[in-house]
This record gives sequence, C-alpha cells and structure tokens, in this order.
Amino acid sequence: MNRITKIISYITLIILILTFNFFLPRVMPGDPLSFLTGSPTMDMPIVLDEEMRAELLAYYGLDKPLLQQFYDYMLGILHGDLGWSIYFGAPVSDILIGALKWTLLLVGTATAIYIVLGIVLGAISAWNRGSKRDVELLTFVLSISSFPSFFLGMLFIILLGVNLSFFPISGAQTPFAEYSTPFEAALDTFRHLLLPAMTLVIAHIGGIYLLMRNSMLNVLGEDYILTARAKGLSEWYIMHKHAMKNALLPIITMIALRVGFLINGTIFVETVFAYPGVGRLLYDAVTYRDYPLLQGAFLIITLVIITANFVADMTYAHLDPRVKHE
Amino acid sequence: MRRIIAFLKEYRNSMPGLMGLGIMVFFMVSAIFAPFVAPYDPHQMYKPLEHPNSDHLLGTNDIGQDILSELIYGSRISLFIAFFVSAVSCIIGTALGLLSGYYERMGFFLMRIVDGFLAIPRLPLIIVIVAFLRPSIWNLIFIFILFGWPFTARIIRSEVLSLRNRPYVDAARMLGARDFYILGWHILPNVVPLIIVQLIIEARHVILAESGLSFLGLGDPTAKSWGMILHYAFEYPTIFISEIWKWWMLPPGLCITFTILSLMFISYSLEELINPRLRGVTRV
Repeated sequence: MNRITKIISYITLIILILTFNFFLPRVMPGDPLSFLTGSPTMDMPIVLDEEMRAELLAYYGLDKPLLQQFYDYMLGILHGDLGWSIYFGAPVSDILIGALKWTLLLVGTATAIYIVLGIVLGAISAWNRGSKRDVELLTFVLSISSFPSFFLGMLFIILLGVNLSFFPISGAQTPFAEYSTPFEAALDTFRHLLLPAMTLVIAHIGGIYLLMRNSMLNVLGEDYILTARAKGLSEWYIMHKHAMKNALLPIITMIALRVGFLINGTIFVETVFAYPGVGRLLYDAVTYRDYPLLQGAFLIITLVIITANFVADMTYAHLDPRVKHE
Repeated sequence: MRRIIAFLKEYRNSMPGLMGLGIMVFFMVSAIFAPFVAPYDPHQMYKPLEHPNSDHLLGTNDIGQDILSELIYGSRISLFIAFFVSAVSCIIGTALGLLSGYYERMGFFLMRIVDGFLAIPRLPLIIVIVAFLRPSIWNLIFIFILFGWPFTARIIRSEVLSLRNRPYVDAARMLGARDFYILGWHILPNVVPLIIVQLIIEARHVILAESGLSFLGLGDPTAKSWGMILHYAFEYPTIFISEIWKWWMLPPGLCITFTILSLMFISYSLEELINPRLRGVTRV
C-alpha cells in the first residue's frame, strides 16, 4: 500500500466513525430525543405534551429529513460543535478540550515508558532465551500484566497512596494550590501523574514484551546473526546493531496497536484515580447517562487512537525502505 | 488420536501451562458446582458490612449479601460469558476464515470488512453501544461476538492461504474431491491448533473487556460478575480508607487476575508447542 491509499483509508475510517456516531442515538431502541437531551425516559420519565415535544424536536433538528440532519451534524463537527452536556451544563467540546490535555499528558508519559521498557525487557529475555533469567522475567512480566488496570490502580491507591501517603490518590493537581514557582507546579503535576502512568504501563507491558521477545527470537535464528558471530563481533554489538534493530522493524505497526490499548486503558485508570481526562469524562457520562458527552468522549478517544495508528503507519514506511518501493 | 496424546505429553513438560490449567480447572469446578460450593444464596441479605467471621468467611457487602457466595456465583457469569463468546466467535471466524482463504474473490471482500473491524478501536465503541442499550448479559455477549470474530477470521485465512497450494491438497483436488471435502478433511485439521490458541486468547480478551465494562457500571445488575462486585466496591465511599477493601475489593480483583493469568499461561504454552522457534533451550 502506498502513502495515498493509506491516507484515503484512514479518512474513510474517520468518516465511518462519524457516521456511526450520528446514527447511534437515532437507531438505538428508545427515543432519540431522550438521548440528545440526556434524560432517557427509562430512568427519568418526563411527560411531554405534543406541542413541547414538537418544539424540542425542532430545536434539535430532529424533524428535518435524515439527510439534512446528517449534513447539519457533519457541519457542526467541522465547527467543533458536539452538542450540549446536560450534567455539566456546558458545550461538550469545551469540556473535552479541557480534559484532553490531561489525557495526552498521561498517555504520552505512559507510552514513552511503555515502549522503552517493553522493548528492553523483551530483548533481554530473548537474548537469554531458556536461561533462568528469561524464565523468571517471562513469568514475572506475564504475572504483573495479568492485573486489570482498574484493579491494579485500586491496589496502588491503597498500598502506595493511602498507606504510604506519599502519592496523591486523585486528581491531576492539588486543588486550590498556589505555586510560588513553575517548578513547584510541575512537581505537583508530576506527583499526581506518577501512579496513573505506572498503572497504565504495568497493566499493559506484557503485550509489547512478548511481541519483542518473539520477534527477537525469530531474528536470532537468522543466518546473519550467525555470520556476525563468526566475524567475531562482540555480543553487545550483535544484540544492538543486528538483532534489536531487525526485530523492531516487523513489529512497529503492532506496537502502535498496543499503544491503542494503552489509550483504552486510560478510561479505567483515569476513572480509578479521578484523573480529569477524557476517560474519566466517559465514565461520568456513563454514570449520569449524559449521552452527548458520552458520544463526544467516544469520538475524541477514537480519534486519538486512530491518529496514533496513522503516525505509526507513516513512520513504518519511513523506516523500512522496502515498504516505500512496493 | 496418537497426535493428541503426543501433544498432551509435550504439554505436560510446560510448567506455566500446567499451572494455568490448574487454576482454570479450579475456577471451572467452582463455577459448575456453585450451588453446592457456595454457603449462601448470593441474593439473600444478611447484616450489611460484616467483617469476615465464621458465618461469612469474606464478610458481607453494603446490602448484606455474602461476598464469598457472590464470588462463587460470579465465576459462573464471568466464565460463561468469556467461553461462550470465544467459542461462538471462533466458530464464525473459522468458517469465514476457511471460506475466504479458499475462495479468492470472497476473501477479498471479507477481508476489507475485517480490516474495517480491526481498524476501529474496539473498546470505546463497545462502551458507547452498551451504554445506549439496556445493560443485559445477552447484549454484552452479542456485542463481544460482533467484534470478536474478525481476529480469528484473519488468522485462519492467512493459514489457509499457505495450506491451499500444498501438494496434498492439489492431489486431493485432482482425485476429484469437492471443495467442501478438501476444506473439511484436509485444511481444517491443520488449523485446529491455531483455533485452540485463538479460543484461549479470545476468552482472555473477553474476560478483561467484560470485567472492565462491568467495572464502569455497564454490566447486568441482575447477574453479578466479578467485575460488577468490584464496581459496587469501588462505588462504596469509604472503600479506600477502611479495612473493608481486604475482603470486598481484593477477592474479586484477584479472581479476575488469576483467570487472566491462567489463560495467558495456557495460550503461551500452546503457542510454544505450535511454533518451535519460540522455544528456549530449556523448557519454560
């Protein structure tokens, strides 16, 4: 696939998701009006007389033909209009933009640690395959990454946050804190960031570790590793210049997929740590049945994941010259 | 039959594989015999928030239900959803994978659909759909199957593509065997190991997704899974600052963790058997 086809397929995907988002409240069982106004009749029966109902339908444009509604919806999205959040009483897009920076901070930090740690551990394991160190590392990594992120987060809160009371257990910054220097603010943010980021990394590390380990094991069976060894190159040199580089290439897109899982994980981790990101908003939206906010949060999370995959795809083409010429 | 025995003999050498199987059997037995193992009816209410004592080994929750009984009955829900979903999506995925690997044109169209499914981030999508639907086990199962089969279809198809042109398949074709005979007797048996691994992996994904969704409050309140127990524990205001987390939050979390761990160990050992290149010098 060349670059253009790839870009087209990503655009198609985004249009597909936007379309899905449009139809969701309209085809699901229940009154679309109740989804858009955020008060589903099954939870909170609100009796509307015909006149009021018609007025509301007109206000949300639900009386127009479907195609016109779709056009208005798409136009709205392009203008950044995602509807009105009932629970927060504010435009969904404003709330999301406020939350997005925290999610990106959390995901960015976690991703950096995750990729480096996963690759290094996987490489060490494969390099020592079959030895005691490999077996121990494998068992250890598989065991810790079996913890679901929300459970691990709760354990961290209790063990490290409450009992040791070193780490703050909720939020992204100390409420009402006044910082005398920007450094102090950064430190406070960092302390709040550490536990959620650690939870995210540990809960997901198994995937990338196994990926790297397996890819590296395959590479170590190649003839050119034997050749390198026969040439008398040092073990360290072979591991870095020959094995790791070649083991990374085939798994870059799969690593990007894992980063997608990591972003999924923020939904749970932010919920547990009351971290004010998009994932926490998704949870609030589910809890209060705030459907416009729910759809907005879904859209943002999905777009972040797709963007991450897109960047990885483009990087891959850049790294592997064979892909470019195909 | 001889191959199965040889396979089991090989599997016996894998320490994590045996551990995983042991844990799984333990949970399975407690799920199947729940009415005999559980001391109480999980819906029955006693004195709320009791600490563990001889009557209630793991205490009671905020509305007075025996937590141990909840856990044992919860294993039924969690494991049933996981294995039912993975079985059905593996059957669908295998059927479509076989057909799309064998018939080129059909495969092309099917794989575009699969591409679409795989490119869409699955978890956020499932969360919104379930939030719009009424929370019920069957809704969850339906959604998980809908998003589960494409993985299997993709994996089976790529294997079929490489098997399709093997000499013995050509030979069978020349002898006049029909397509479905070839698929069923010559190709299917060769992808069975892959299907089994996929079954375990998918079950692990489903357990994780189901408990996650339940934790967010999207589970079926009438059928409490481990994730739901965790959800109610998390929602309880003083869960983090009193002792109650030790018997209310820890046990369901550990049940989920050990189930995932056991499935991970099983699938890892199976994969190692199938792909010998992953094997170390000494067996793990």
